[in-house]
Amino acid sequence: MKLAFFQGCNIPIRIEQYALSAQAVLEKFAVELVEVPEFTCCGYPVRNVDEKAYVLPSVRNMAIAEKKGLDIMVICNCCFASLQKAKSVLYRDPGLKDEINALLAEEDLHYEGDANVKHFLSVLHEDIGIEAIKKQLVHRYTDLNLSVIHGCHVLRPREITGFDDSFVPQITDALVNATGAVSLDWQGKLECCGAALAGLNDELAGSLLNEKVAGALRAGADYITPICSYCHLQFDTAQQTMRSADSPLLPVLLYPQVLGLVLGIDEKLLGIDRNSTIAGEHLSALRSLLGPPVEEKKKKRKKAAAAKS
Amino acid sequence: MKILFGIAFIIFLVGLFLRIYEWFGKGIRHPGEAPPPFERFTAAGKGLITTLLSGKIFQVVTTFFTDVLFQKRLLSKNIMRWVAHTLIFSGFILLLFMHGLGSGVSEFFFSGYYSTLQPYLSLRNLFALMVLVGICIAAYRRLRDKPRRVKSLSGDWAALFFVGAIIISGILLESSKISSPSEFARMVEEYGDVADEEETLALETYWAAEHGLVSGRVARPYNSDLVEQGREISSYSCAECHAPTSGAFVSYSLAAVIGPLISAGSSFFLYLHLLICAAFLAWLPFSKMFHVVAVPISLLMNGVLGFKEPAQSGASALNRQMIGLSACTHCGSCSELCSSLTFYESFQNDFILPSEKVQLLKKIAGGTSVAQETLQHLQKGLYICTSCDRCSTVCPSGINLRELFTTSRYHLLATGSPEPAILSHFSFPLALAQNFIDDHKKALKKVEQLFKESFKKLSDMTTLTLARPADVGNNSYQSCYSCQRCTNICPVVRLYDRPQEALDMLPHQIIFSLGIGNKEIATGSRMIWSCSTCYLCQEHCPNGVELTDIFYSLKNGAIRTMETGGNA
Repeated sequence: MKLAFFQGCNIPIRIEQYALSAQAVLEKFAVELVEVPEFTCCGYPVRNVDEKAYVLPSVRNMAIAEKKGLDIMVICNCCFASLQKAKSVLYRDPGLKDEINALLAEEDLHYEGDANVKHFLSVLHEDIGIEAIKKQLVHRYTDLNLSVIHGCHVLRPREITGFDDSFVPQITDALVNATGAVSLDWQGKLECCGAALAGLNDELAGSLLNEKVAGALRAGADYITPICSYCHLQFDTAQQTMRSADSPLLPVLLYPQVLGLVLGIDEKLLGIDRNSTIAGEHLSALRSLLGPPVEEKKKKRKKAAAAKS
Repeated sequence: MKILFGIAFIIFLVGLFLRIYEWFGKGIRHPGEAPPPFERFTAAGKGLITTLLSGKIFQVVTTFFTDVLFQKRLLSKNIMRWVAHTLIFSGFILLLFMHGLGSGVSEFFFSGYYSTLQPYLSLRNLFALMVLVGICIAAYRRLRDKPRRVKSLSGDWAALFFVGAIIISGILLESSKISSPSEFARMVEEYGDVADEEETLALETYWAAEHGLVSGRVARPYNSDLVEQGREISSYSCAECHAPTSGAFVSYSLAAVIGPLISAGSSFFLYLHLLICAAFLAWLPFSKMFHVVAVPISLLMNGVLGFKEPAQSGASALNRQMIGLSACTHCGSCSELCSSLTFYESFQNDFILPSEKVQLLKKIAGGTSVAQETLQHLQKGLYICTSCDRCSTVCPSGINLRELFTTSRYHLLATGSPEPAILSHFSFPLALAQNFIDDHKKALKKVEQLFKESFKKLSDMTTLTLARPADVGNNSYQSCYSCQRCTNICPVVRLYDRPQEALDMLPHQIIFSLGIGNKEIATGSRMIWSCSTCYLCQEHCPNGVELTDIFYSLKNGAIRTMETGGNA
């Protein structure tokens, strides 16, 4: 499978390890990611200012993929939602579609809506599948509790994103559990990290962030696993300056890093130490949690979980 | 002519001095910070010495070869542009050292250099041809294949024109010398070994027949006996110091075509060529050709420092900014790959494109005063930026555009009018970077004040009028049946003990007020700017009211109102 890799603006310069680890993981499953330098911003940052200016870049990006005959794979939730939103807007508004196509024609581009937009997690969950992932495991975590924070824009609005059940999402749990780690049920799992308010209302952004950090810690998380690049930056960077004085630092692991380790990919390649909340002790702790790739009996795991709580 | 060159050289030196003085004397400053030139000069010296003394000298050398001479940064992004630049650059430099700087320099670099002998005769033509081909590619790109949306300015054309004029006038000069009978006569006089008039005629016939000379005395068809006699005389009299003119393949071909037209003009073309060269020299420091001085320095600094680490001091940052500004060649590489590229189509603001921002920032940094309206455009252009740093990554001149744009953004925000775009997610990476925190807060305050003044609040109103439901583009709010689920699930409302005081209106109240036609109080409520866009309200609304989308629409409207200065 070959996909155009849409990295957005944050990942290449601020979270390169997300792209590298996703690429390393997908390589194991023969998914080839094509870098497309012509891709621009998805439009998300301008949405507060002008809705039409928000839609246009995503259409252009999809037209570029269309021209290359590729489907698009996205990691960042906000990029994902923007592309999906643009798709749905043009589907419902043929007039706008013609207007944008006239503009795109100047660049020898045309949007028809043929390129599918897939989230990285959907590629893992649907195109590759949990069973195929399990077959490739060389380790399983023996005792690792993760608080996944989905990020809002991958789940909602559900008719736009089309990602998972927005009230009871299953994909992340299935993916995390496949590695032997536990995806915790916790308060902030479906909620906002505060990124959308950062720089506009830092106080609110900080409160929303700290609420999530506290919630994850309370639920017994060893790490928080953000899906969206904005969430990642909130937890991995903003947390360091915004967290309340008495709160410990909650370290961040990205999902492809979690999966990559049990697939036997080198931790350097996964860029785990490039997460700024990760220290040497975390790395050695993670290494010590790598067990044999056989599933524990369910009972045993329940017992272990009960003992822990 | 010597006087002319003397004057040109003085102008060049003065220009050079002024430009270098600008490096340490001017710049777009962070508000409240203005290190004097002396401090900046010492900072530069200190930086230079630390670099030379540290292990980074190796990096400097590598950068010099890969980035400065070989232009690797350009090659990795655009092969055609690299070909054009390499042809012009190498052709011109080789010509300069082999031919342009006088025989002393020529002989130093090319031992045994003699202008009328091979291989130099052909090499000169080859180098000239390289430059011309490069200029043609560059001109073609500017006309047909330039980075979209980037404009070509008069300065861009002037640079191509000037370099082209030097080469073309040089070729014309050589062609006219080849065809010139007076030049022939002079050389026979000075160097020729001819016994009498008959031999001179034979020699002239031979040179006319085979070397492009336009002679008034002999004409086609040439007497073959005379040609043969002339060939023999030439072989002992001329050949030692003068290779066949056909070796100068460009000029020779040109002389074959237009020789009769230019054969009398060799001194005219000599003066023309020298005049253009002198003018180019004098013009260089004041034009974008100054990049030949600034780019190597900028690239070396970039090679050692990169662009991700903040500068050692305010003085160093300003120095690098000014060197960077003078290193911009307006090539458009940055705009071609700009993440905000498509926003240009929506806002029709040239200053969204990094290459165009730099052109104006150059002027502002140099102290030129710019109209308020243009500044406001620039401020907006500076804000419509995703901070993806692609421009700094691709710039073939190694300019630290990240630093330049961030500093300029806060410089303008501090001195200019409130910028409503600060209320966008473009602010996210700025908040994350934790630079200019206080400046950001101040700029935000200005916009909040403007927001407050632009709309009436519920508390300002003595009576609330009932009107037809408001039009907000998305009228799904009309199916609201007042269950208040939106407010109850809102994670922002939840954070406040008395949310209404902090937010003016709660989500369900905004929907109500739209229902009774009061769009202004909805638009003016702080709730819309406190919305985290988490879509929980919209997802949970039992009646499909698209609250978050409606809030976006209200925010768009609020920004339009703030920008046009009117009331909603």
